[in-house]
Amino acid sequence: MGALSFAAPWLLVALAALPALYWLLRVTPPTPRRQSFPPARFLRDLPAVEETPARTPWWLLLLRLVAAALIILGLARPVWNAAQGEAADAPLLVVVDDGWASATDWPDRMAAAGAALDAAARSGRRVALLATAPSATGEAPRPTAWMPAEEARARLAALRPLPWAPDRAAALAALRSWRNEAFASLYVMDGLSHGGDDGSALMAALGDEGSLQVARGVPGGARVLAPPRAEADRLALQIRRAPGGPAAEAAVLAMTPDGRTLGRAVLPLPAGATSAEGALELPVEIRNSITQLVLEGDAPGAAGVMLLDERFRRRPVGLLAAQEEAADTPLTGALYYLDRALSPTAEIRRGTLEQLLSRRLAVLVLADRPLAEGAETQAVARFVEQGGLLLRFAGPRLAERGDSLLPVPLRAGERALGSALSWERPQNLAPFAENSPFAGLTPPAEVTVSTQVLAEPVPRLAERSWARLADGTPLVTFENRGQGRIVLFHVTANADWSDLPLSGLYIDMLRRIVALSSGVVGSEGEAPLAPLETLDGFGRLGAPPPAAGPIQAARLDATSPGPRHPPGWYGTPGEGGERRALNLSAHLPELLPAAPSPSGARETRIGGVPAERDLGPWLLAAALLLLAADLLLSLQSRGLGLRARAAVVALVLLLPAPAPAQPGLPEGAAALATRLAYVVTGNPQADEVSRQGLVGLSDYVNRRTAAGLAEPVALRPGQDDLSFYPLLYWVVLPDAADPSGEAVAALNAFMRNGGIILFDTRNEGSGEGVSLGADAALRRLTRNLQVPPLATVPEDHVLKRAFYLLPDLPGRYAGGPVWVARDTDRANDSVSPVIVGGHDWASAWAVDARGNNPYAVMPGGARQRTLAYRFGVNLVIYALTGNYKGDQVHVPAILERLGN
Amino acid sequence: MAERGAAGAPLPLRAELAAARLPPLVVAAERVAATVMQGVHGRRRSGQGDAFWQFRPYLPGDDAARVDWRQSAKSDRLYLRETEWESAQTVALWRDSSPGMDWSGATTRPTKKERAELLLLALSSLLLRGGERVRLLGGGRGLSGRGALPALAMRMDAQSGPPADEALPRHARGVLFSDFLAPLPELRERLAPLAAAGMRGTLVALHDPAEETLPYGGRVRFEPLDGGEAALVPRVEGIRALYEERMAAHRAGLAALAASLGFRLLSHRTDHPPEAALMALWQALAPQGAR
Repeated sequence: MGALSFAAPWLLVALAALPALYWLLRVTPPTPRRQSFPPARFLRDLPAVEETPARTPWWLLLLRLVAAALIILGLARPVWNAAQGEAADAPLLVVVDDGWASATDWPDRMAAAGAALDAAARSGRRVALLATAPSATGEAPRPTAWMPAEEARARLAALRPLPWAPDRAAALAALRSWRNEAFASLYVMDGLSHGGDDGSALMAALGDEGSLQVARGVPGGARVLAPPRAEADRLALQIRRAPGGPAAEAAVLAMTPDGRTLGRAVLPLPAGATSAEGALELPVEIRNSITQLVLEGDAPGAAGVMLLDERFRRRPVGLLAAQEEAADTPLTGALYYLDRALSPTAEIRRGTLEQLLSRRLAVLVLADRPLAEGAETQAVARFVEQGGLLLRFAGPRLAERGDSLLPVPLRAGERALGSALSWERPQNLAPFAENSPFAGLTPPAEVTVSTQVLAEPVPRLAERSWARLADGTPLVTFENRGQGRIVLFHVTANADWSDLPLSGLYIDMLRRIVALSSGVVGSEGEAPLAPLETLDGFGRLGAPPPAAGPIQAARLDATSPGPRHPPGWYGTPGEGGERRALNLSAHLPELLPAAPSPSGARETRIGGVPAERDLGPWLLAAALLLLAADLLLSLQSRGLGLRARAAVVALVLLLPAPAPAQPGLPEGAAALATRLAYVVTGNPQADEVSRQGLVGLSDYVNRRTAAGLAEPVALRPGQDDLSFYPLLYWVVLPDAADPSGEAVAALNAFMRNGGIILFDTRNEGSGEGVSLGADAALRRLTRNLQVPPLATVPEDHVLKRAFYLLPDLPGRYAGGPVWVARDTDRANDSVSPVIVGGHDWASAWAVDARGNNPYAVMPGGARQRTLAYRFGVNLVIYALTGNYKGDQVHVPAILERLGN
Repeated sequence: MAERGAAGAPLPLRAELAAARLPPLVVAAERVAATVMQGVHGRRRSGQGDAFWQFRPYLPGDDAARVDWRQSAKSDRLYLRETEWESAQTVALWRDSSPGMDWSGATTRPTKKERAELLLLALSSLLLRGGERVRLLGGGRGLSGRGALPALAMRMDAQSGPPADEALPRHARGVLFSDFLAPLPELRERLAPLAAAGMRGTLVALHDPAEETLPYGGRVRFEPLDGGEAALVPRVEGIRALYEERMAAHRAGLAALAASLGFRLLSHRTDHPPEAALMALWQALAPQGAR
């Protein structure tokens, strides 16, 4: 196929000299080595028993000849798959589209341009580069000066895709003012029209100058993740691409600020389709911790990253009852059930109507509170018009007198079902309709409604009903008004009129309604928002480029990303400052393909073309290796007595192999101080969290107790000696690898000799569902470990009283069970060798380099973090002293509490 | 001058350290009368010394100052206290300083000369602690006392030449350190005068392991250190057995020579610890009862 070619073929003539070399090598005997030796006398006049062959053995000859041939071949610079460069001497202009659409297949684009540069370098042509996107400093595209191809290669390697669209018109203008002599050109094109410019003018201008080659990627390669639509229990996703693409599958990842993936949705893209729809089903609690949606892949590109700011999360809910004083009475209060249902997921606000509306609210809940005509009604109406969600609950007061802010007109008085004077029985709920936001929820059979307010029969009442009773009367009605919505539950918010507030369905319904509301963004207006973190062309967040400037808050949504305003986070710097997202994909119009190449231009496809490979260095390296082997052999033949060890050392020097970084301490240091240890998981983030956590805990323990802990250490069981450490913290990741046989043996010995392993699955209690699959991974990891029978930590366990008296053992999460060995196990004085939990303690303990706690605790509060640290102290004391504290220290206090 | 070797410590100090693990050496001295000097050997007769030997009745002519009044007061007669006569043996030492001695087969091992000097001084240390006198062959008068070791080391550095000493007392004990690689007739020529002078003693033959095993290979030109004729060996592996045979023959001849001259022959390899050789020397020199 002729894929092999030589850059300096005349050097191959030197191969003819090999026979002469053969002759030379053949006749030269080795020189004797000189060795001083006192009893040399005994070696004189020895009969010649066996001569060292005066001739070089044939295999050594062959080795040397091959080495020489390799050197000649290597110097002749053979190239595999050499790009067929233009034979012309005309200089080459390489035009590269470096906008957002080039990011996904950027390496292929660089390879295509680099191959052209290599070919130009071989034929000695000069090269210039023209990148079509405005640079990060905001300068318009401009071609470089003509330069040797080697120099241009460095410039090319410095190119990066930029998170905005290329400006081909500006590139064309720069080209017109720059043109000098005739040149050939290569246009590495992203295949899209940008802002109505399909690139035909630029290609025509290039074609006029000389031969033109246009390299394009696969059609539809660039994908755009459109802004998602928040629905009640899901995020509706859309992916767009240019027409003509092959059938593919795209996956969208939902990620947290610390880089964890909380969800994944797969969207099938049929062949030729320009968009794909899909949904990411996530509970509201989880959804609120997502800050970005990312297209799965090596380089999603700036258009494949959707940053989700507060509008997707923050849902302040204002609660208002008719009688505030009795509203919180347990079980009977008007707001008791509402508060309990909503407080885990939403921000609850209380106060007078005026106070509530003075701040921005997502949802205003009125529990049987009539609105006074006049100012109150006007204020609430304005709130709804501007996009707020008004959620009302019926009740005796509303039944008596309706007002204008109701989705449907109500009949006066309530309808009692199943009372003494009624033939009707309490009604069940009908299944929810498909178009209702409650679709998918199943009404429990035991939920009955005994009293309700009835809607006047108006046209389209059915369309306005989200939920109905079994007899068809509406239970939940709604009406869109302005940008907002009014929703009415035809029953009370407490259990007076129905069983609904007693069921889990009530919570789900409320959460879905709250999720329907539009989020709230705090600051608006003229306040400038500084760029905090911006996306680069590959879709990675980083420090903003120097040219990035602030945006006025009110104009953020209207700002199109560009060099001055790259996509990313904007807001006020500092902890707790508000952040707003500027997303590229929100400002991209429909994707249209670029114009076809003009006639006379050569069209090539980037990617798939095997990169050309310079074989010369490899041949020279092989020759070097052979010569090194020859050196060793001849040293051996001269009796230098090289041992195998020396040969191995020489070979190791020749072949530099990266030695794996070994965690751990210098030898012996481990025994000098007590320190906590964690098991290396292989995930750098998880390991860093573990390290920070144990650093924070060690500091806390050193501050509060007499224990002195040194810097924690990372361990690999089976490789490192575990015997110096009292406590091993082990984060169980869903993709954790099974421990090796040596690791299992080491861990079993560690536990048998009194060591404690704390397994943390990071998915219990309030963190449930965060680390899916960790439980299965834990079962996998511990399959071969000798774990005793486990039970949840009893109230009187030493772990809860070793230093502090603790009611429960929270970490970053709280509320889940923690397991220890059952008390009946008398081995090691009843000290449990394993503690299993999922509260992500290391994150709660973690202290970063500035001394802050980088991870928020859930559900939150300084108290939870304090308790987490106290658990840590108890754990360390437990690990260091065993059950000694259990029966000694707190006996007086316990007796006192028992009342003796 | 006296500082040698990898350990960095002065050679006398290292020799002392090597000798510290053995009890003071008391040389069996049959020929006491020939060397009439003070020492710690009890001679089973009264004389000059520190240890009590006997009370003897006062005889006319004895010095009145020697009367032991405490003993005399117990009876009517006068007694003199006599101490046991103590005397020391002289041990003559020699180490070969020919160029061939200054060689080691590997950098990790000391040269034969270094080892010989270490053994010589260690033995001297033992002897001096035992109260004996030590002299170098051809190196002037004998030395005694603990402080004599540095002086001995300095003299040893200056000493070179064959083992010959006109001033050697008859019936002295001698210890000779060398590799004894010279041809056997030459050795006999050197040792025979010593034996004729009545010296009995020990030959310590030092060898480098490389001299025994010939651990070389290939084509090698072997050059003796004394400037003799070099030997070109085309293939060392082939003649190793022959070399070992010749070496063994030389050893056997040396043993026969030593036996005929009344010397004891000890062999020591420089890769073995010096204490082993010292122990062998100690046993060779100590009287039967001290073993």
